Amino acid sequence: MDKKLGFLAFGILFGFALSRVGASDYDLIVGMFVGQDYKLVGVMATAIIVGALGMQVLKKFAQPVKSGEPLKISYKELKKWSIAGALLFGFGWGITGACPGTVLAQVGEGKLFGLFTFTGMICGTYIYARLKEKHPDL
Amino acid sequence: MFILRSIFVDPWPFWAGGIVIGLLVPLLYYYFNTALGVSTGYGNLVKIFLPAKNLQWIKTKYTETYSWRVYFIIGIILGGLLSAILSGNLGITTEMGRFTAIAGWPAVLNAVFFFVGGILLGLGARIAGGCTSGHSIHGIANLHISSILATIFFIIGGIITANIVRSLFLGGAW
Repeated sequence: MDKKLGFLAFGILFGFALSRVGASDYDLIVGMFVGQDYKLVGVMATAIIVGALGMQVLKKFAQPVKSGEPLKISYKELKKWSIAGALLFGFGWGITGACPGTVLAQVGEGKLFGLFTFTGMICGTYIYARLKEKHPDL
Repeated sequence: MFILRSIFVDPWPFWAGGIVIGLLVPLLYYYFNTALGVSTGYGNLVKIFLPAKNLQWIKTKYTETYSWRVYFIIGIILGGLLSAILSGNLGITTEMGRFTAIAGWPAVLNAVFFFVGGILLGLGARIAGGCTSGHSIHGIANLHISSILATIFFIIGGIITANIVRSLFLGGAW
């Protein structure tokens, strides 16, 4: 399977699932943070459990992966500022009721203010690129 | 017809969304030996939309401008669009749940509010090294300590600002 077309297809599935389950709904995300609606906790917990079980199955029965390479799991290292970054990300999550994946589903659904969250995210990434010039440890 | 309606029209129960999203983690490894993740692709968008070609980080990390990450992003947008079409909710809306229903701000202020939140998301995701998909789903499913820690602080941050917004602008309503 061509990687780009494959990711286009999996992206459609991902966006469709996010939208259908309500992850692109401001009320569900903010409702989770103010302790009124825990549906998304259930979504994330299920996804983590299914993902973890799926990885075990993959390691036991589907190695090497389809291309013949050995499975290579990427690990995100904890850096000096990672926790501060995570907190900033959380601030944005609670304000917008969206995250980098669900905001894309919002844009597809035609939510106008989702487009502003999305534009802000591109600018935030640009700010990171600028900061990184002078602060390589970020 | 009941099954079609459950898939395409009615909102999914939590477990259905969880299963589909969770399965993406092993499937993307099986087909492409690649970790699930969205936010890194925003660097591709920076390279496409903003004058950033001379920034070192963009130059070294984003050698291929239109990489698979851009296709993944486009796919997620199309998935949201498909969901809206099939459920009969297609159309541009200025609604954003209880926020626009209760706060009653002029559109320009709403736009600034979501834009500023977006900046925090973009900047924070890069400093943290990932977002809800890369850290919270992919990372925790692989039992990575850094991802568990990052997710805890994602949630702490979200609880703080969501509650501030609720009490300041939404009259404590929920």
